[in-house]
Amino acid sequence: MRKLLQARTRLLVTTLCCLLLAPSFAAAPEFEIEIRNHLFQPDTLVIPANTKVKLIVYNRDATPEEFESFELNREKVILGGRKAIIFIGPLAPGEYPFFGEFNPQTALGTIIAKDESDAAE
Amino acid sequence: MLLNSVIIVLREVLEAALLISVFMATSRYLGLSNRWVIIALILGGIGAAAYGYLLGPISELLDGVGQEVGNATLQLATFLLLVPTAFQVSRRSTLAGRHGELLPLLMAAAVMLAVVREGAEILVYVSGFWEVRDFLSAVGVGSLIGACIGLSVGVLVYFLLVALPAKRALLAYGTLLLLIAAGMSLQATALLIQADWISVTGALWNTSAILPEDSLVGQLLYAFVGYEASPSATEVIVYVSSMAVVAVAFLAGRSRNRGGAGNLV
Repeated sequence: MRKLLQARTRLLVTTLCCLLLAPSFAAAPEFEIEIRNHLFQPDTLVIPANTKVKLIVYNRDATPEEFESFELNREKVILGGRKAIIFIGPLAPGEYPFFGEFNPQTALGTIIAKDESDAAE
Repeated sequence: MLLNSVIIVLREVLEAALLISVFMATSRYLGLSNRWVIIALILGGIGAAAYGYLLGPISELLDGVGQEVGNATLQLATFLLLVPTAFQVSRRSTLAGRHGELLPLLMAAAVMLAVVREGAEILVYVSGFWEVRDFLSAVGVGSLIGACIGLSVGVLVYFLLVALPAKRALLAYGTLLLLIAAGMSLQATALLIQADWISVTGALWNTSAILPEDSLVGQLLYAFVGYEASPSATEVIVYVSSMAVVAVAFLAGRSRNRGGAGNLV
């Protein structure tokens, strides 16, 4: 009986630990953007609000680009033919423009943070 | 393309130029030689070339956040150099001419790190146009104009500081060191957040409607005090505590000073 109780307690503790730790171990949802001919593709990206996301930017051009956003407080040089990983958020719902600092006339895009309920619509 | 190059290079040069101006004015105020600047610029230039050349492989390190961690390390190292700099500046302010070549060494190291970081980005940008010859001359001229504007601002700041009355100068240098240092650790924190090495919960406030970061004033404030329109709680805490650390170092130098002056009498 005692053994059974101990086993149950252990199971309960393990489950609780798993539940508590799960959110911190959950990988951030991933989103991908490409740079081609100094344009972002897609140029609009909808991500969940209040959630940290992992953005992967592939630079398909031969020339370097700098992913930059004042609204997102992000800036990262991406050399030609390489990819960059940029973590973003958690963001309040809204629009967050970004641009390629090396080609700011063409390389323009927007990240839209939406509440989960709105995004499902 | 031309205007774009002006802006990019200006932004990078401005930060390093401000640091150099403040240090050179401080050196002059304390009666130190400014020879260290040339050495720092040469070493920084070499470092920038190496860092820029290796930026691709560096970026791939640490699961793709090597660039953030590399830049953050350079900025945190600059911050760590600015703490003893503040101490030495206030300590030496009334003991001019006496011992210690530590201060030029600290300043040179800080400038070198700033040049490595800013210079590498300029090199990566310009070298990208090496292949596309059509724009090379526009980019070259634009970069040159940007660099000249940045340097002019630096020279202007230097002469404004040098013109300050001696009584006010020390406080001005201390304040500027404090702001630059806090800006460094703030930027490093922002990079570590971007790399997901530090987790944040969201912006504490947002002043981008009042003063956008991409405005002229916003850019100048960014270069001077690390202005950020929508900082997280972590960034605010880091900024304030960095200022406190430098302030304590500066005040500690002063109190040491008084003690030292007493011994002299």
